[in-house]
Amino acid sequence: MTVDRSVIQSNYPPGDLAIWIFILAELAVFAIFFAAYAFTRLQHVELFNEYQLTLDREAALINTLALITSSYFVVRSVTAIKLDDRRRCVHWLLAALSMGLLFLIVKTFEYVQHYSEGINLSSNIFYMFYLSLTFFHFMHVIMGMVILAAIAVMAARGRYSRQEHTGVESGASYWHMVDLVWLILFPLVYVMR
Amino acid sequence: MKQLSDYLGIRPCTLVYLLLIFFSLTTFLVGQMGFSGLGMSLLVLSLALIKGQLVGSYFMGLGSVCGLWRWPVFIWLFIPGILIGMAFTLSYQ
Amino acid sequence: MQYKSQAVAKPYFIAAIALFVAQVLFGLIMGLQYVVGDFLFPEIPFNVARMVHTNALIVWLLMAFMGASYYLVPEEAETELYSPGLATLMFWVFLVAAALTVAGYLLLSYSTLADVTMNKLLPTMGREFLEQPTITKIGIVIVALAFLFNIGMTILRGRKTVINLVLLMGLTGLAVFFLFAFYNPDNLVLDKYFWWWVVHLWVEGVWELILGAILAFVLVKTTGVDREVIEKWLYVIIAMTLITGIIGTGHHYYWIGAPEYWQWWGSIFSAMEPIPFFMMTVFAFNIVNKRRRDHPNKPAMLWALGTAVMAFLGAGVWGFLHTLSPVNYYTHGSQITAAHGHMAFYGAYVMINITIISYAMPLLRGRNAANPLKSQVWEMWSFWLMTIAMVFITLFLTGAGILQAYLQRMGENPQPFMVVQEQISLFYWLREIAGVIFLIGLVVYIASFFVGQNDPEAATES
Ligand code: HEM
Ligand code: HEM
Ligand SMILES: [Fe+2]
Repeated sequence: MTVDRSVIQSNYPPGDLAIWIFILAELAVFAIFFAAYAFTRLQHVELFNEYQLTLDREAALINTLALITSSYFVVRSVTAIKLDDRRRCVHWLLAALSMGLLFLIVKTFEYVQHYSEGINLSSNIFYMFYLSLTFFHFMHVIMGMVILAAIAVMAARGRYSRQEHTGVESGASYWHMVDLVWLILFPLVYVMR
Repeated sequence: MKQLSDYLGIRPCTLVYLLLIFFSLTTFLVGQMGFSGLGMSLLVLSLALIKGQLVGSYFMGLGSVCGLWRWPVFIWLFIPGILIGMAFTLSYQ
Repeated sequence: MQYKSQAVAKPYFIAAIALFVAQVLFGLIMGLQYVVGDFLFPEIPFNVARMVHTNALIVWLLMAFMGASYYLVPEEAETELYSPGLATLMFWVFLVAAALTVAGYLLLSYSTLADVTMNKLLPTMGREFLEQPTITKIGIVIVALAFLFNIGMTILRGRKTVINLVLLMGLTGLAVFFLFAFYNPDNLVLDKYFWWWVVHLWVEGVWELILGAILAFVLVKTTGVDREVIEKWLYVIIAMTLITGIIGTGHHYYWIGAPEYWQWWGSIFSAMEPIPFFMMTVFAFNIVNKRRRDHPNKPAMLWALGTAVMAFLGAGVWGFLHTLSPVNYYTHGSQITAAHGHMAFYGAYVMINITIISYAMPLLRGRNAANPLKSQVWEMWSFWLMTIAMVFITLFLTGAGILQAYLQRMGENPQPFMVVQEQISLFYWLREIAGVIFLIGLVVYIASFFVGQNDPEAATES
């Protein structure tokens, strides 16, 4: 990212250590979920292949692009605050939030669609995994947006600066985690067969 | 004071961003064309793992961390990656 | 003691310890009944002893939580308690209600007790841990509301610290989830849901917040480490607790008639429940290592660290042991469950309460910081006696449970329940011996309040 010496030599990831412990715990849950998906699929290959085709891959692509883009915007907001540019920092955060919102809207449409088709957690094991995984991730997007919004407010109030911006970095790290999880979820659930 | 290096700093991330978009589109196309099979699955999985590592190293900034904290995302990708790869490989036997 | 009104905590602590003794005595009675079936029959049947054992436990933990809150909230808020009079009144209401209820268990048959207390009007009796007659439950709600009001007003009036807010959140949750105890649906599946929403959401949800807050308070006081550091940890621990604990309720839905996806949700989320307990352990040791001073109250520190370790072992490790649905399929309701229940309750909630009692009692009794050395030595002995005895109780029950699951539920020709019980009675004898040692530890603990009281106070180093 920046060619700031102090960053390059750091022994710790950007942001608060506490948020990182949190991130690791969350990642662990998703990792277990992913592995469980893959191994359960092993027992029901036909069923998984059949119902995977009923998912809306285009919606998933839009959502993938939305999350990647928002992650990139968050990177820019961190860069901005490191240059002491509070206004830009807030703007990039708002841009990232709007991408998050796009994700939520698209995903909600998907859910509404499934709901109207009478699909739920008990329909079959594939839908159980699909709905569980995506909904758990959905909750994380909401959580991440709450964090980003809180940071945007504090940034607007001048809480952060070139010297002190751990808060921004913490929120950014959390948001990248939300993105990271989706980057695996998308191919695993929507594409790999 | 703004330094030149701070401006240069965003470039790798922008490049990574474009790569991520490109890989995602590729993944999508694989799905769209109806490709399946072990080779395609593993290809898509590898793309996903590479994307994850890019996000970890560049967006999350772990690439410039020394010591233990450089590795969590890598390990997170590596272990599930192996498990998923294994499960898919087995599913074609 | 910085505020006069903190003194209301003292009777709560004393009554809690008295009930603790009763609890353990009834535990020993049951432990003996496990191997000598007609011991004390018909005076104290097993089911009655069990009610007294578990209800005494819950009530004394609640009392100690209240005492802890009355002690720490004014100090954190930097103001006197809103109404010390109300707190004292509620103490007596609570104590009398508890005593009457236990007397009812022991003197009347359970069905007579149900009739006498007009259970028919609003049936709530008959569920494990929630056996109390409906009027007792209403009493508990009144006490809890008065308590919350008192604590809440104090917090509103004074300094708002993270510790106080987390504590208040936990206590409010405790009261709210108790309300599920008043709904007793006819449908057995629903009945189980509501029961777990009290029991599980208590011990693996809101009580953990209380635990975290009390632990943080004692650590702030004894180590002098910056609040900010401690608060940050508290936030993360709470977030993790709630995420894993709430959905983790699913580990009780496996076999009660709930939808199948709970096998997955319950397993995955509850498997993460040890994480907040582990974070608490790391947190406690981290803070103690960073300490700015050596507090003269050594036992308080010992109990605090002990809580962090034993809660992780009992809840985290022993909980994880049987939380995955394929494992729970074999261990459900076996002695493994009892092993886990004992160590988790002791390690998390008994020990945190003794921690705050250990820290606060010397101050409540007018000392500057700590008890005389002799008293401290006795208390530390009691720590080791009780803790090691509990480890052994847990290990013996685990042994019994593994054998039980194996003989009764696995293999070619599974054997009937009672036949298996016969075969594992050796473990029950060993458990009883460990139980006696636990009681000795408890006696030593109580003695520590009386020995060497005329000696000079242990000195502050540094
Ligand atoms: C301090 C926290 C905890 C306490 C006090 C506690 C206590 C208990 C008690 C008393 C029971 C028996 C309930 C009954 O009568 O059926 C129980 C059951 C259970 N606990 Fe915990 N527990 C705690 C934390 C945990 C954690 C963190 C886990 C998982 C990692 C866990 C997993 C379980 C499971 C799976 C059961 C059901 C056992 C069965 O199927 O029979 N517990 N717990
Ligand atoms: C002197 C030591 C103790 C002995 C001998 C003892 C014995 C027993 C026995 C025999 C049971 C009944 C198990 C059954 O229904 O099959 C029981 C249940 C229980 N005891 Fe203890 N106990 C002792 C100490 C404690 C302590 C210190 C605690 C709390 C920290 C405790 C908490 C519980 C709980 C929560 C249950 C219900 C467990 C369940 O439903 O699985 N006991 N105890
Ligand atoms: Fe539970």
